[in-house]
Amino acid sequence: MNPGINPYPDGLFWTMRLPDDSVQVNPGAGRAIYSASEIEIEDYGSLNNAFNGLPGVPATVSFEVHWSGVGERLNVKDPVARFGGEFVRGSAQMAWSAVVGDYTFQSDPLETSSSDFASLGTERNGVFFPRS
Amino acid sequence: MKNVRLRRAVHERRARFASRLSRRRFLQTGAGALAAGAVLGRQLLRPTTAYAAGSDPIPVPGSPILAPFHIWAPIFVDSIDAEPATITNFNGVVGIAYLSGNVTRTNRRTGEVLVKPFVDADMRFMQGVYRGVDGKPRQGTFGFV
Repeated sequence: MNPGINPYPDGLFWTMRLPDDSVQVNPGAGRAIYSASEIEIEDYGSLNNAFNGLPGVPATVSFEVHWSGVGERLNVKDPVARFGGEFVRGSAQMAWSAVVGDYTFQSDPLETSSSDFASLGTERNGVFFPRS
Repeated sequence: MKNVRLRRAVHERRARFASRLSRRRFLQTGAGALAAGAVLGRQLLRPTTAYAAGSDPIPVPGSPILAPFHIWAPIFVDSIDAEPATITNFNGVVGIAYLSGNVTRTNRRTGEVLVKPFVDADMRFMQGVYRGVDGKPRQGTFGFV
């Protein structure tokens, strides 16, 4: 499930505008809450369908993701990709639910989930990437 | 969930692109009118969103490995330090996480219940100032879902 690639294939990738209160973040402390309720996306059934621009099935999804913990701190500057930032590694957990056609999906409680990778930070890219 | 199969799906996607290029060359010979109709028909049937305009953000250039898509996939495809944001001309806070757990799927028609894992679901957000298609600076919040 994702918002699609608009326009396909070289447009905005699985990214959609959300209300500003969808995010509460303190990157220095490694804490953030990212949530949304009943947003409209599409279920493509498989990654291959999504990557090949095949039509999806309308779906609604709600989620809440929590970042916490302060591990390694990194300063990244990539002049080739023209992005840089300061990031904090930590951990994250998520609870989510969705409705797709006849099916409902309800994850186990947030506390039971885990993350293989979680990072928070500040980033500058494109025209905001320092030239020097 | 998305990332576990990302490499394979991208490779298949690139192979299909290569295949389409070959098909285009075939069409230039004038012998593939039916194939042309099939390809165009599929594109016409696919629902699309109007092209970005005004305040819409611009996608990052993205990983060369994932071309033609405009996305970086830290760890799974690109380096751990690869860019997490999906929009460019952006200055703000970013979060990324690969999340796993269990989800219960219920068929509301039949009542069938099935518990399944979700593995490495890629969730990201971006919040801050960005310059969209029209070049004007704006405040915005975006989710990679």
